[in-house]
Amino acid sequence: MAEVSEPEPRNENPVLWVARPMATAARQFAKSLFRPSTIVYPYERLEDPRFRDRLEVASGKPFGVGHVWDNYRGVHALNIATCISCNLCAFSCPDICIEMVTVPGGDPKHPKKCPEIDYGKCSYCGFCSDACPEGCLTMTTRYELSTPKRSDMVYSPQKLYDVFRSKLPMNPIRLARPENEDAILLDPPLCIGCNACARDCPTECITMLDVPKPEAKPGEKLPKRIWKEPVINDSDCVRCGTCISVCPKECLFWGTRK
Amino acid sequence: MSEMWINMGPQHPMTHGLWNLRVRIDGEVILDVDPEMGYLHRGIEKISEDRHYNEVITLMDRTCYVAGLSWEHLYILASEQALHIQPPERAQYLRVLCEEFQRIASHLMWYAAFVQDIGLMTPFLYGMRDRDLILDLFQSYTGARMTYEYMRVGGVRNDLPPGFTDQARKVLDWLGPRFDEYDRLCLGSDIFHKRCDNLGVLKANDCVRHGVTGPMLRSAGLRRDLRKDRPYAVYDQLDFEVARADTADVTGRYLVRMEEMRQSIRILRQVLDWLDHHPGPVLAHELPRWLGAPYAPVGREGYLLKRHYPKGVGFSSIEEPHGEAQAYVVNEGGEHPYRVKFRSPVFANVSAARQYLIGYRVADIPPIMGSVDVCVGEVDR
Repeated sequence: MAEVSEPEPRNENPVLWVARPMATAARQFAKSLFRPSTIVYPYERLEDPRFRDRLEVASGKPFGVGHVWDNYRGVHALNIATCISCNLCAFSCPDICIEMVTVPGGDPKHPKKCPEIDYGKCSYCGFCSDACPEGCLTMTTRYELSTPKRSDMVYSPQKLYDVFRSKLPMNPIRLARPENEDAILLDPPLCIGCNACARDCPTECITMLDVPKPEAKPGEKLPKRIWKEPVINDSDCVRCGTCISVCPKECLFWGTRK
Repeated sequence: MSEMWINMGPQHPMTHGLWNLRVRIDGEVILDVDPEMGYLHRGIEKISEDRHYNEVITLMDRTCYVAGLSWEHLYILASEQALHIQPPERAQYLRVLCEEFQRIASHLMWYAAFVQDIGLMTPFLYGMRDRDLILDLFQSYTGARMTYEYMRVGGVRNDLPPGFTDQARKVLDWLGPRFDEYDRLCLGSDIFHKRCDNLGVLKANDCVRHGVTGPMLRSAGLRRDLRKDRPYAVYDQLDFEVARADTADVTGRYLVRMEEMRQSIRILRQVLDWLDHHPGPVLAHELPRWLGAPYAPVGREGYLLKRHYPKGVGFSSIEEPHGEAQAYVVNEGGEHPYRVKFRSPVFANVSAARQYLIGYRVADIPPIMGSVDVCVGEVDR
């Protein structure tokens, strides 16, 4: 049973009051002379291969494969080339520290936007890199951010790209995704065929297809609209919801495709 | 002698965090105490009403900064009940793994702080050193050392990296003998006993009357542990004992926490064996779009919710390292929780300070309050 009681009888000899704990401490002290548990930062660093395994440092026992450091969530790395400007990182940020800013490379009608991260606000929760459908925003093991100016804490896409190019180990953890993903559905009577969704879709998975113009019955007035409707290719869709937010008639919505 | 009030805190070595203990003394004897909380109030319950269900998890890590994963578990259990989601079994085992490792880490943190309160510096370093190994384990699969953001509504964020279970077993092998070493350092010396025995006595009926839970209650002789009494997650399939002591004093709380850490190691070995042999999904299949990680602004969300997700309320209570924590989540059919309410065990434990401090000496306050294991982050929320 887990009844706990006083383990040892009391010893009233005051020398032993001190001597017994001192013996335990002295044993540890002798061990730590040869294998100190501390790491003298910044002269030694935790990500140094020598400290791959802290237990080895503490106990002196070999420890096998230890990749403690590789999964660390630190500063982000952004691959601008594969970013599709879907906005999901900015949506998923609980601290609202990600702003989508225009970067050169897009055509003037559809500017390319990449995340700019304010590390003064960032809490390193990793929701943005979990949300990234293309895997272009990942987290690296870089953690030193101190700077004399507050404005230096704002990392532009170019600066994040420099982190990407520095080839730091990337956090390999990817989120387990739910299997039955919701799809974006259309409410056809509301659609006016304005092309806004297809124009702003980052993956260009929306095609505007013709719909037959119905015959007007006598006395009935047909709605004034373009006779086209969006068709969404579910396999290409990253579920960013951009089309839903740009739709002027709110005719797109989340649902499950039967 | 003339009586006087003295303030211990809010910036005092005895107070772990920002809170104030006002003490009325006559010479050395404590006549009255008045704990004042609220210096660390951040309005977490109110902020939660403005966030997605998953985004609240980032706040849970900051609620109690030494037991973040326990609070994540608490919130997740309540919100899953409110949203009618059943997590896969492997995710539940992973959560138990988190919670028990967190219990050891939290108790080691308590041990380090407590022994420093009674004037021992050497065990402090041992406690912090061994806690760091558990933080390394956390870092290897959650990605952070303190603010984990690991659990998700409907499961957990990711599975364990390869080789983790062997690594964890080695840490457990290392930790087991360390607890005996701690006992030799503290209980082996009569100085510790002279400092802690028959101090801060809070009998079982007083504990019940004031809502005091956790190791303080168990040290008073009541075998009350939610993991046994009302098993949540997969605790009903695990074999462990509930630690208990009869002395109801500071030494009793020390003994109970040490025994709890040993029992946690016993639970963790079972959990690691199970995880080795039962691969599977770690996130539920039936998740609404806005609960998966890539959530986006939901157009016409009311339409979606009316179809798929009925309203509900969720209540959960877990055995946190400090005591019984409770959460209440109301889902009124939006993408944010309508109301979130937490019950902090430490708030009740500290509020009962008048019961276990009056009559002792001023020099007894640090050991007594140290044995309560105050985490002000969760007291004020």
